[in-house]
Parts: sequence; structure tokens; C-alpha cells
Amino acid sequence: MQENTAEPLREIIRAENVRKTFTLSRKQRALEKNPSGRKIALDGLSFTGYEGEIYGLLGPNGAGKTTMLRILSTLIRPDAGDAFIAGHSVVKEPEKVRSSIGFLTSELKLEDFFTPAYLFGFFGKLHGMSDGALAARREELFSRFGISDFAEVKVGDLSTGMKQKVSIAISIIHDPSVIIFDEPTNGLDVLTAKVVTDFLEEMKAQGKSIIVSTHIFSLVEKLCDRVGIIIGGRMAAEGTLAEVSCGKSLEDAFFDIYKRTVTGV
Amino acid sequence: MNNILTVIKKEFARFFKDKRLVLSTLILPGLLIFVLYTLLGSVFYDRAPTYTVKVIHPSAFFTALFTPAEGEASSFDLIDAEAEDAESIKAEIRAGTTDLLVVLPENFDDLIVSGGVSAVGEAPNVEIWYNSASIDSSSAFSTVSAALDALEDSVSNRFDINISAGGDVSTAQEAEASYYAMLLPFLILTFLFSGCMGLAPESIAGEKERGTIATLLVTPIRRSELVIGKIASLSVLSALSAISSFIGTFLALPRLTGGSIGAAFASYSAGQIVALLAIMLSSVLLIVSLISIISSYAKSVKEAASLSVPLMIVVMLIGLSTMMFTVSSSAHAVFLIPIYNCVQAMAEIFSLRFSWVNLVITLASNLVYIVLLVWILTRMFKSERVIFNK
Repeated sequence: MQENTAEPLREIIRAENVRKTFTLSRKQRALEKNPSGRKIALDGLSFTGYEGEIYGLLGPNGAGKTTMLRILSTLIRPDAGDAFIAGHSVVKEPEKVRSSIGFLTSELKLEDFFTPAYLFGFFGKLHGMSDGALAARREELFSRFGISDFAEVKVGDLSTGMKQKVSIAISIIHDPSVIIFDEPTNGLDVLTAKVVTDFLEEMKAQGKSIIVSTHIFSLVEKLCDRVGIIIGGRMAAEGTLAEVSCGKSLEDAFFDIYKRTVTGV
Repeated sequence: MNNILTVIKKEFARFFKDKRLVLSTLILPGLLIFVLYTLLGSVFYDRAPTYTVKVIHPSAFFTALFTPAEGEASSFDLIDAEAEDAESIKAEIRAGTTDLLVVLPENFDDLIVSGGVSAVGEAPNVEIWYNSASIDSSSAFSTVSAALDALEDSVSNRFDINISAGGDVSTAQEAEASYYAMLLPFLILTFLFSGCMGLAPESIAGEKERGTIATLLVTPIRRSELVIGKIASLSVLSALSAISSFIGTFLALPRLTGGSIGAAFASYSAGQIVALLAIMLSSVLLIVSLISIISSYAKSVKEAASLSVPLMIVVMLIGLSTMMFTVSSSAHAVFLIPIYNCVQAMAEIFSLRFSWVNLVITLASNLVYIVLLVWILTRMFKSERVIFNK
């Protein structure tokens, strides 16, 4: 898996002209003053993420970041276009895609009633892991995240930070080659946010390919190799951090692009 | 297949490790039904009240009506009273210290002996004063007026009914069987439904509400495996809950009605009992699938519970249908209607009118409905509108 930087980059995440429209409820139609009743979330979005890199989807709220990541994780299906993870189509081979990704978002919760140890076993089995492999992986991840002492405490009784660690451990239980993380540090306190960013850097060091969505510039600057700026469901700019920033700070570059895209100037 | 088992194991662990859930779903229903039915039974059947009846112008014929046979205790306490006390006795009836005031014509015994017929309103009048707000007073009233009617009939006897010949052509077993055929399908459906109502909304709408179902959906498990695992485990647990209610009924029913379900069951063949279990299995799968679909559509556990109420009313009304009418065994098409076919097929077995054709139609059509419902639920689990509908 480890990629030598001198070799040409290999594609691992590719979105091809992905379109997604949502039907709005009557209430939403009135709120958004959109009588057509349909909202275009993704308007032909294409981008490519390379092996061993962290790709950042940057954009304001409502730009379509979460929708794109949900399509990549096969939770929802695109209306048109397709996306590929490690060569598998999210439309045609959703189960294969799901076995090669680890998907994390604050929306995915663990059942409060169970203990981390029980859930680890449960999700491991769903990933088709043997008992031996599960035990070894559990030992590795629980000590890495400091969960061991809390392995038998119900998730509902854990602190927010510990819950997040358990969620992370469970999402990478099957050692996926691609990690998809929606708004990784949203709603987390500084210490837990640090756990998350450290984890992402560690995964990158292990040669994993990562895609994150965020609206936090500093996070992109700190972590990402490549960035795609989404505005209104379209890719407004894409490239390495240096290419997109054009010598300015990412924040300034973003607002230039935003102005250009929205006003058309 | 392995994934289905993993989901079933998790659902069982969620249930059996939760003492409150076990208590409220498995132990309480049976216990409550037992206590409730036993209490009702002791109110209705174990009491042997004695009625206080005051009689103005007492008569030998009247007294003879309420003289018990040798060795039995009398339930009527007849007290002679004077005509001028009538008003104060009525006050006693109102107060509940006396149950009945009977004012006989002065020459009551002579009237009985002489016989003869008069038009209504012209014959001598027997006054019976009672209080319909008191259970004792009203039942004393109906017993006394029935006894007087019988006395009047015997005076001017033109014909008897069922004295020298005549009677019920059904055997005691058949009579009991038709009673259970009315009652049991309704009870079984109600127990299955309420068992499922306590579990499915929590397991599906609850997981949706708390965001834990999406965590499952990003694992390689197929949607259909998740759906089958959920429905299988919920069906087993709902059936266990129904069995708990049924045991409560089984133990309490003899006290409530004087009958015994055990004796009724002993009259069914092993094949019929297997058929009965197969029908119950198909009804629990149907009910669980229906409530699961409602729970997937609902945004929260609360909404799932309230959306299930109309379905519950329909299922209960269908369960009551055996009390209103029975279907002819030759009306095979009726056994294609889901739920209704379960009720009628169970009623056929309970009333000893078992038909293989109807059983096969019921089970086969229900299997088709269940497969269809599982397919719908799988489609729903694939739809973002359902899974992310909050």
C-alpha cells in the first residue's frame, strides 16, 4: 500500500459527473422560495483523489459536501453519473465499496445500550472478520485510542471524546484503504478535535487515502494535499493546496473564487 | 446468511440484556392479564350474595318459590312487612340496606289456585320496587320477576318447552370449541400485536431517530439481510411476549369463565396444533412486517406508535369478526385476505371445522404478502428519504 512519492500517483477516489436532486417538502419550498419543489444538490460534480493523500472538499454550508460523501459511502445513490472507490462503482457494487471504506460523521451514532467491546465484535462480524483477527485488531485499536479501560462501559455512559474515539475505532475496524470523514472536527472540543486530526495524519502516514469535507480553512491547510472547492453543487476550483491558493492564504483564495463563481465576474 | 444471524444476535442481546425491557415485554403482560382476569372472575363468579326482600301481603306460593332445596343455602332473605311501611322500605332500597320490595295482591294465593286469564292491565298487579343503580338490587329484581313469570305460566299452562324431550344437539365439547373459536383468534392477534408494538417501533424508528441505523448501513451488510434479521428477531420476541400474555390467560380463564383452555386443546390432534402454530407464525410475521414498515416511515418512536394505532384498530376488528359471523369453509377466496385469513383459519381449527385447503391458501398467500413486505422494507432501507428523514 505504501506509495513512493516518486512514482506516479494512483487514482483511488473518482467522482464522474455526479448529479443529485432532492425533492423539497412544501415547508422547505416556502422557506427557500423555490416553487419548482426540487433542489439541485450536486450539479455534475467530478474530482479525483489519489492514493496516500488527504483530499479536502471545501465549501459553504449547503454546497453539497455531505451529499457527495454520502454518495461515496453508498448511503444514497446519485441520480446520474457514478463514483468509484478503489475501482468499485458506488452504484453497481455498493457492498464492495462499503468493505473498502471507513465512513465517519457526527450523524452516525453507536447504540448507547451496548459497550464498546460488544459493538466492536458486532461490527467486526458484519465486516466478515474472524474471531482471531477481531481480537488482534481490538487489542491494537483499543490501546491506540485508550479505550481499553472503558471497553465494558456502556456507550451512553462515555464522555463525548471517548464516544468519538470508539466511533473512529469501529469505523476503521476492517482496516479500510479509504477513509471518508464528513466534518471531522465539527462540534468537538479542542482536545477531541486534536485526537481526530492526529488520527487522520497517522492514517495518512500509514498510506491510507482520505477524503474529508469541511468549511474550516485551517483544517484544510493543516491536513490536505489536494483540495476541491464546491459552490452550489459544482466544482469551482480543484488542485493541490498550492495551486488553489495561488500564493495567497487559502481563505483569501476561497473568497476570490466564491465571488467569481457567484457573481460571474 | 451470517450477517442475518449477527443482526438477530444483536437484537436479542439488546432485548435480553435490558432487564426493564424483559420485565415490561415478557413478564408484565402475562402477570397483568392473570391478575386482571382473576380479579374480574372473583367479582363475577365467586360471590354468593344474599338478597334482602321485604314482602307486603306475604303468600305461601311466593315463599315457596324461594325456598331452597334440601341442603342448600337460600340466597333470598324474605321479610314480611306492613303496607304502611312501603315508603320507608323504598328509602331503604335507595340507601342499599334492602334490595327489593314486593307488594303482592292481598288474595295472591287464591288467584293462583283459581287460575283464569285477564287482559294486560286488568289482572291484579304485583309491585316490585328496586334500584337499578345497585347491582344486587337489579339482579334480585330480575330473579324475582323471572320466578313470578314462571309461576304465572305454570298456572295457565298450555304447553311446556323442553320438558319431556328436546335439547342442544351439539356435544359439550363442540359448544366449548365454538366458544374458544370466537374468543381465541381475537386474543391471539391482540397479544401478538401488542407484543410487536412494544418492540418494533423502538428497534427501527428508534434506531433511525438516534442515528444508529446509518452506522449499520455503511458496513458491507446488504439491506435485505438487515431487514430479514430485524424481522426474524422481532417476530421471535413478539411471539415470546404473546406467549407470556397467553400463559396469563391460560391460567386465569378457568376462574373467569369456568372453562379450561387445556381441556379444549386436548381435543385437537397434533396436526391441528402444528397448523395452528403455522398460522400464528405467519400472522406474527405479517404483523411485524407491517409495523416495521410503519416504523421505517415514521420519524420517531412516538410517531411510529401513533401511526400504528389505526392498524391496531383494523387488526382488532378483524379479530372480532369471528364473534359476528363465520365464513363457510367452501368460501376459499376469503382465505386470500391477509390477517382475516389467519383469524378465520384459527377459528376453523378451534371450532373443529378444520380444512386443509383453507390452511394451505392462508399460509401460501401470507407467505407471498410477507415476501412482498420484506421487499418493500428493503426498498425503504435503500431510500435516503426514509433513512435520513428526521
